[in-house]
Amino acid sequence: MTALLVAVGYYLGARLGLGLSLVEENVTPLWPPTGIAVAAFLLFGRSLWPAVAVAAFAVNLPISEGLPAALATAAGNTVAPWVAALLLERVGFRRQLDRLRDAAAVVFLGALASMLISATIGSLTLLASGAIEVDRLPSAWAVWWTGDAMGVLVVTPFLLSLALFRELPPWSPVRWAEAVAVLATLTAVSLAAAYSERQLLFLVLPVVGWAAWRLQLRAAAPAALVAAMVATWSAARGLGPFHHGSLLEQMLTLQAFNACIALTSFIFAAMVTERMRAAEDRATRDHTIATILQRSLLPAGMPEVPGVTLAARYVPATSDVQVGGDWYDVVPLPGGQLGLAIGDVAGHGLTAAATMGQVRMAVRAYALQEPSPESVLTGVHRLMTDLGMPDMVTLTYLLFDPVTGSLRLSNAGHPPALVIDAGGRTSYLESAMSPPVGVTAHAAYPEVEHVLAPGTTLVLYTDGLVERRGVSIQEGLDSLARLATEHAEDGLESLCDLLLGSLLGDDGVQDDVAMLVLRTVSLVDGPLDVRLEAVPRSLRLMRATLRHWLRAADIGSADEHDILLACGEACANVVQHAYGATPGVMEVRATLVDHGVHLSVRDRGSWRPAADRGGGWGLQLMRELMDSVEVLQDPEGTEVLMRRTVDTGGGA
Amino acid sequence: MTDLATVDAEHAPGECAVRVAGEIDLSNARDVLDLVTRLVPEETRRVVVDLSGVDYLDSAAISMLFRLAETLTRRRQELRLVVPDASPVRAVVRLTQLDRVVPVTSSL
Repeated sequence: MTALLVAVGYYLGARLGLGLSLVEENVTPLWPPTGIAVAAFLLFGRSLWPAVAVAAFAVNLPISEGLPAALATAAGNTVAPWVAALLLERVGFRRQLDRLRDAAAVVFLGALASMLISATIGSLTLLASGAIEVDRLPSAWAVWWTGDAMGVLVVTPFLLSLALFRELPPWSPVRWAEAVAVLATLTAVSLAAAYSERQLLFLVLPVVGWAAWRLQLRAAAPAALVAAMVATWSAARGLGPFHHGSLLEQMLTLQAFNACIALTSFIFAAMVTERMRAAEDRATRDHTIATILQRSLLPAGMPEVPGVTLAARYVPATSDVQVGGDWYDVVPLPGGQLGLAIGDVAGHGLTAAATMGQVRMAVRAYALQEPSPESVLTGVHRLMTDLGMPDMVTLTYLLFDPVTGSLRLSNAGHPPALVIDAGGRTSYLESAMSPPVGVTAHAAYPEVEHVLAPGTTLVLYTDGLVERRGVSIQEGLDSLARLATEHAEDGLESLCDLLLGSLLGDDGVQDDVAMLVLRTVSLVDGPLDVRLEAVPRSLRLMRATLRHWLRAADIGSADEHDILLACGEACANVVQHAYGATPGVMEVRATLVDHGVHLSVRDRGSWRPAADRGGGWGLQLMRELMDSVEVLQDPEGTEVLMRRTVDTGGGA
Repeated sequence: MTDLATVDAEHAPGECAVRVAGEIDLSNARDVLDLVTRLVPEETRRVVVDLSGVDYLDSAAISMLFRLAETLTRRRQELRLVVPDASPVRAVVRLTQLDRVVPVTSSL
């Protein structure tokens, strides 16, 4: 099928070429079929040569002096483009013609060198068949050579450019409009020049330059084809600029013009594409580095904290330069509280990402030292001022106690946090606002306190979530609140996905978005179920959580102490013996059954028998403190089940 | 001082009283032991470790106290612990029989 199309295309191209001949039917300044053959070999492979050979024979038979002459000419016309394609492939030619070297390869190897073959075979055949005398051989050779070469220079890039419409990203309507405009202008200018008695052909060049500069090969190659066709047609008719002068003069003018047009179009287009790609590569590299840096500076995961579920997202901007600077963090504090931060460093790119990393670590360090919001923000402010960091940082920092639900917050110029209560009602935390960190010389960071009831969701985010071009921030905030109400029942992960999906739209992310979502989970309604990292510092958090639960269940203090100690011993065993070098989790579950507490401490590790460390009192203490202790081992890990009757309803 | 427990000492001629408050567990027992050992001068005869302010003491903390007793015995120092009768840690001291090795009183 392809072969048939190529053959037909070749034949029609030849008819067109003959129609453009200057004298009778054998001095043709532009021979399109050669260009068609080269393009066909480059696009579909050189194995298509039989199609070209047959078509070339069909073209040459009626205009040659006999069958052998037609065969010889057809052979020359097939071998030349075949060699052209071979040479181009050998030098690593890219048919996208998007590098200067590809453009140069087409000119020197594809056109000038390869067409020596067809010109030599063709002109010698003319001589041998008696069509021309020896004295006309040089001029016949020259006309043949330039005609074939022009065919390659003008037609091949055009056909290759057509393939690009399928391979490259499609043009926007605006680009299409520009392409139509440039071709219309070019046709008008070419025709005007063709009919004018004055030498106005050079006026075409800037238009071809426009096409190459703005739209590259996809517009430049068609433009060159149109310009060359019009000029050649006008020369064939002896119009305008070709009205006077000898055949040689006409030929020289035309070939010089066509060569200029062809070279300007695709060499210029290749240079522009090359430079654009270099700039794009640079931008892509910066974007990638900033994204990687940004991601590596964000928390790798969310900590396990009893009493809350957490989810977080970071979405880098799609645009090359807008990445970087947004962050969130969750800092588990020694007392079982949580420090939560969300912030945005003004500016984008590598600098913003780097500053973000420093500020994030500063927040962590200050939080561990003195976790109050006021002190953390003051610390970060002082650090930024002392270091002379030029950036402006908006930052909301919260100190949250999962056991009591108490929340202390201070907001330095950041969009307000959204609270969604268990019933789906939303409110923004708009108090305790202060200017962004690092802006003013002396800053005060007021705090506000809230209590989050169980089932409350807190959404912290950066401005990219609510700010969009053409939409006011208030509209963004309203949409966020509305979506949050509608999806208050969703799990946190799907809530995150939904908010991002709905608010960011489909047309790319204009600005980074960081999002941190926290939901409070009741620690006292029903059984207690907590998962903690099996490390020593988790023990205290486990006790705080269990203590809170036992008190809410009205269990007396003597029972409370014993249960806490038994559970602490079981957990300490998990910490010390359940896992190897990589820590796992421990799961503590407590249920109230009639007048008893059932306690389960589970690990997912291969239990090592308790080493004789710590006196080995762990299990013994558990047995003393509780009514019953069972140690169940299964392939997944170990579970310690403990029961104890308790006094409820009064202190011990 | 660790963030879970505080340790401070009061020196009198021939006697040193170390007050520990807070919670002692696997995560900070070694730190507390180091602090207490450092705060007790070698030449002091009598050492009192006051656990009145301690709300939680696990078996890691108990073995820390055993080790402290050993160290002080080697240094020819006398150790006494103060654990009030109503203290939440009274039970664990009794269950581990720490009070058989180290004298425990309910007040200073």
